[in-house]
Amino acid sequence: MGATVRFLLGEAEREIALADPTRTVLDYLRTDERRTGTKEGCAEGDCGACTVLLGEARDGAMRYRAVNACIAFAATLDGKQLLSVEDLAAADGTPHPVQRAMVAQHASQCGFCTPGFVMALAAFRLAGAAPTRAAIDDALAGNLCRCTGYRPIIDAARAACADPAPDPLRANESATLARLQALAPRTSLAIVRDGRRFLAPRSIAELAALCEEFPEATRLAGGTDVGLAVTKALQDPACVIALGAVCGLDAIEESAHTITIGATATYSDAAPVIARHYPDFGELIRRIGSVQVRNAATLGGNIVNASPIGDTMPALLALDARLILRRGSAVRELPLAGFYRGYRETVLAPGEFLERVVLPKPAPGQIFRAYKLSKRFDQDISAVCAAFALTLEAGRVSGFGAGFGGLAATPARAPAIEAAVLGRRWDEATLAAAGEAFDASFTPLSDMRASGAYRRLAGRNLLRKLYLETAPSGSGRARTRILEPAP
Amino acid sequence: MAEIALSTAPAHLRHGSNSGQPLTRRDGLLKVTGAARFAADHHPPGLLHAVIAASTIARGRVVSLDLAAAMAHPGVVAVMTPAHKPPLAADPDAKTNPFMFRLDLLQNDRVRYAGQPIAVVIAETLEAATEGAALLAPRYQREPARVGFEDATVFTPPAVGVGSPAEVVVGDVAAELAAARLRIEATYETPAQYHNPIEPHAIVAAWDGEKLSVDTPSQGLAMARARIAGLFGIPAENIEIRSPFLGGGFGCKGMLSGPQVLGIMAARLVGWPVKLVLRREQMFGPVGHRAPSRQTLRLGAEAGGRLRALDHHTLTASSTFDDFFEPASNASHTLYASPALRSAHEAVRLDTGTPLFMRAPGEATGSIALESAIDEMAAACAMDPLAFRLENYAEVEPISGKPFSSKALRECYARGAERFGWTARPLAPGAMRDEAGLLVGWGVGTATFPALMFQGQARAVIRADGTGLIECGAQDMGQGAWTALAQIGADGLGLDLEQVEFRAGSSDLPDAGIAGGSAHTATAGMAIHAAGADAIGRLAALATGDERSALFGAGNAGVIARAGRLYRRDDETRSERYADILARAGLFEIDGRGSGAADPVALARYAMHAHGAVFAEVKIDPEFGQIRVSRLVGAFAAGRLVNPRLVRSQYYGGMIWGVSFALHERAVVDPRSGRVMNANLAEYRVPVNADVPSLEAILVEEEDPHVNALGIKGVGEIAITGSAGAIANAIWHATGRRLRRFPVTLEQVAGVAG
Ligand SMILES: Cc1cc2nc3c(=O)[nH]c(=O)nc-3n(C[C@H](O)[C@H](O)[C@H](O)COP(=O)(O)OP(=O)(O)OC[C@H]3O[C@@H](n4cnc5c(N)ncnc54)[C@H](O)[C@@H]3O)c2cc1C
Ligand code: FES
Ligand code: FES
Repeated sequence: MGATVRFLLGEAEREIALADPTRTVLDYLRTDERRTGTKEGCAEGDCGACTVLLGEARDGAMRYRAVNACIAFAATLDGKQLLSVEDLAAADGTPHPVQRAMVAQHASQCGFCTPGFVMALAAFRLAGAAPTRAAIDDALAGNLCRCTGYRPIIDAARAACADPAPDPLRANESATLARLQALAPRTSLAIVRDGRRFLAPRSIAELAALCEEFPEATRLAGGTDVGLAVTKALQDPACVIALGAVCGLDAIEESAHTITIGATATYSDAAPVIARHYPDFGELIRRIGSVQVRNAATLGGNIVNASPIGDTMPALLALDARLILRRGSAVRELPLAGFYRGYRETVLAPGEFLERVVLPKPAPGQIFRAYKLSKRFDQDISAVCAAFALTLEAGRVSGFGAGFGGLAATPARAPAIEAAVLGRRWDEATLAAAGEAFDASFTPLSDMRASGAYRRLAGRNLLRKLYLETAPSGSGRARTRILEPAP
Repeated sequence: MAEIALSTAPAHLRHGSNSGQPLTRRDGLLKVTGAARFAADHHPPGLLHAVIAASTIARGRVVSLDLAAAMAHPGVVAVMTPAHKPPLAADPDAKTNPFMFRLDLLQNDRVRYAGQPIAVVIAETLEAATEGAALLAPRYQREPARVGFEDATVFTPPAVGVGSPAEVVVGDVAAELAAARLRIEATYETPAQYHNPIEPHAIVAAWDGEKLSVDTPSQGLAMARARIAGLFGIPAENIEIRSPFLGGGFGCKGMLSGPQVLGIMAARLVGWPVKLVLRREQMFGPVGHRAPSRQTLRLGAEAGGRLRALDHHTLTASSTFDDFFEPASNASHTLYASPALRSAHEAVRLDTGTPLFMRAPGEATGSIALESAIDEMAAACAMDPLAFRLENYAEVEPISGKPFSSKALRECYARGAERFGWTARPLAPGAMRDEAGLLVGWGVGTATFPALMFQGQARAVIRADGTGLIECGAQDMGQGAWTALAQIGADGLGLDLEQVEFRAGSSDLPDAGIAGGSAHTATAGMAIHAAGADAIGRLAALATGDERSALFGAGNAGVIARAGRLYRRDDETRSERYADILARAGLFEIDGRGSGAADPVALARYAMHAHGAVFAEVKIDPEFGQIRVSRLVGAFAAGRLVNPRLVRSQYYGGMIWGVSFALHERAVVDPRSGRVMNANLAEYRVPVNADVPSLEAILVEEEDPHVNALGIKGVGEIAITGSAGAIANAIWHATGRRLRRFPVTLEQVAGVAG
């Protein structure tokens, strides 16, 4: 077993022994490497000032993705390439096209956010998507700027993408690939320091064994929840079992009737596949956190984290997703609806972990809609999230799944609503019955994100919205009238 | 080519060829490559890390700290507490000038607000210090926190803002209100807001005997140095503060904050350099905030829309232990003509950190209420809100009766309205929908901000090789001092920008005054210009008094300095290079000094303000209450613009602060504990990229012969004012509902309790 973490920093090989197994990439860069271009603005994934690129070999080419260094653990760098803002310029010192555009468009004021924006845009340019306003908004949703009003940064994004200069990050690609191959980990990583452990197994069997051996261990997928617990809530887990290096656990497989998503598949990897079948689900995922978050975070993490406002669960519940859990060699499968026991509580047994999520493909005639309501459009936690899977046959509801977030202690299906509509004609009367069932099902609480009254109103209005968008007599995507609030 | 004219009859200064140019910022490349070093990026040898332990109660006493646990943690070097700290030479609660605020520096066990520092742990690594601070596990003796306006006694503060009277009255408000045909009265609420620059406060402090070296962001180097000198009882000359880049300030880095001083104390205590960086949640307490307000406006008007009375009352809050009163009602002093006008303030004292200056202090808070009320009055008069504003256009400053030094607000209204397409606006609210069925509304707001100046100094040097040097302890928090002041400096020396070295951002340089109040470019710029003129004057004296010079005897006619040469004003065929003049005189360099400050005569005679008009479009989803600002057009007039690019950038940023004020920013305080519950950047919402509408800032030309010799007013704060109100008014126009509690929330728009 390896006890040190080996990776490329820029083009230079690094092998580090971590005194603190949950040391962040940001701390490592700024303190050990004295690379201070990467900034810390929040230490919790919200501001993007710490954005760095992670490079991995994929299909014979380097793939770079932007992540937040402040909540990424240095131990997860094993076998990867890390690029910080200091790595962007060409070998002769010519600034990167993104850097040139940021200067020319006057896209910094104080400049503290700037390296983060530069890195996010460098990843965006490399990915080669068309620089539409929507695509730029999406690429930059995880970067906050308090000075510029963003407009010049958007201009810089466009200018950088229009610049025909080759990307300096691709200049050394084959050499980088060769170097990465040479240091690719062949054995599992096991850092043990002062009784604290960071274990990164490479096979499912090994993972299963470790989970049994250390049932109290913190399982680490993308770390966007776990990272926060360490940097913000100052938890020092005694043992971390990282799933990221387990071969095949990130697989996304399609069969005739299902999509199976491995526990370490990131949102960024899973979203395109899911969106092909459920466009609204794809859009819902696009509104989770930011690119940086989605490049690290997983569906599995969202499910096990069990937050009542986790965004994917309403959709997964509405679609009757199933979970495959493993403990040692014992595998069981259960519907997501049976997974939550109470507030932040799941049925996972000690030593058991989530291996895969199975999503059925749409049944013929099934309509799927997902909605996320939040105060700020991007990078915001849901006030209410809802998803519906509706199948109509000859004007009658032959299938109905509804999942809600933000309305109860756990993400929840609403069997009463389902019962109220199943078999009935999809019309105003059924909608009214669904609304009553909704009111009977939920008594949402008030918190900082929204008042209970708002949640109740919005939840009902979402049912109406679904109706207007899908009813044979409905008006398609047209907006609905405001519902009068209860006095 | 830059030029500067010196003659016996100094005309109003012409812009040289550097000023007025839309140069991109000179520090741009440093910033995009990560090479610009901010305070926390410094790492001197032997550095130790300090972490503040902050109070989780808002009022009471610290009864115990588990020092043993913290000290036992590996790597912890010291724990600084009221019982174990270096002595101070002055009481941090003493106040000897209006810009001095009381600091919490571990002088006793008292807790005055949540987030107050109660100990500092110093360790070999940041992790150890963080862990050590967590291990202190404080126990408190808790007293009930006073959190809202209802929890404390209302009083009239002796002064608001910086020394303005709490109440100012012109005319007879009661009589005019009584006589008015139409009257409105409305109450608006604004929340506590926290500056939240993306760079948290950070300090790296190193003592060398009685000398102190400090890297820390500061909007006011000289004041910070004086404060440190006073607190530690050392001469100011012993202290060097470097602040070449601030990662945003917005007022919270104006005065040295308590945590910064704690970093210096920690370094003194352990005898090693210490770095102290605030965690994001620690930015919600000891570094100032914008105070909440409850503002009541009463307006009376004739049927035709002419105002008869404008009464603006503000209830605001300060801390229990210090005085800063948000001068929100003063926003009504300058914009609308009214025979009777009253601004009044009352306050309560709450268990919070002391509120402070935050971008457009007073003006931003007051403007959103004033502009909403003006809109309500316009609606009551069944008038177009822009027409109503023009009907009440102030030809002289309403509060003082003084003429304006310049005021191109009419042009701002006209240019902005035209660009926005305002004439197509239906008068009635709720009349517009877009293709998707969203409600659409248009609103306007007037922007204004005073053209202030502080006092500043600068030094200008012409060197033997003909190049120049400007030294000025100016601060660049992003507004572009490195660029704009260098442009002014090059003009002042009659040199091209590339020929001039510009030094700023250190307390060892001449005091340039505080970077605040939108006054820095005017203040430091005037000092720099005067220093340049002084240097050129000395150079000219050398030449014109020397018979070997081509300029000999030009005395009365005067000379012009341009592109490194002096020319005879009345005969430009006679000229000489700077380098040659210095060489002949055997001088290595010649230097000049200058200072900048407001002209008291002009101040007495004129009212000086920048103005603007902002037009907003919002789209609203009525079922869910979601609001998006889809378009913002602002037109601003602020005298001459040293660098239009930098200016536009300030306007964009300001307008987005307006969006934030109207729709996003709000500290949620727990009524029981007095803690800010959303002390992070996820839940203290500031706009993200996708919240930014199509954004346009029009630069309206304005010549101001009185404000200062350079003709420049400030641009850093004005654009928040007007913008926030325009959005509030657009929401009304979209929905027909007047929402008076800011930020406007989903709940309010959807019509359910918030
Ligand atoms: C800035 C930011 C924005 C965010 N925005 C959103 C948002 O808009 N909507 C939203 O829903 N969430 C959001 N999140 C939360 C988070 O990103 C999601 O919950 C994410 O899906 C978690 O996935 P992860 O892989 O990072 O999980 P991790 O942090 O790795 O793990 C989460 C939890 O699940 C456990 N776990 C993970 N995988 C397994 C497994 N296979 N078996 C057993 N246990 C496991 C971990 O032990 C941990 O308790 C945000 C987070 C951040 C930092
Ligand atoms: S420091 Fe803010 S996202 Fe990492
Ligand atoms: S330039 Fe200051 S935060 Fe973006």
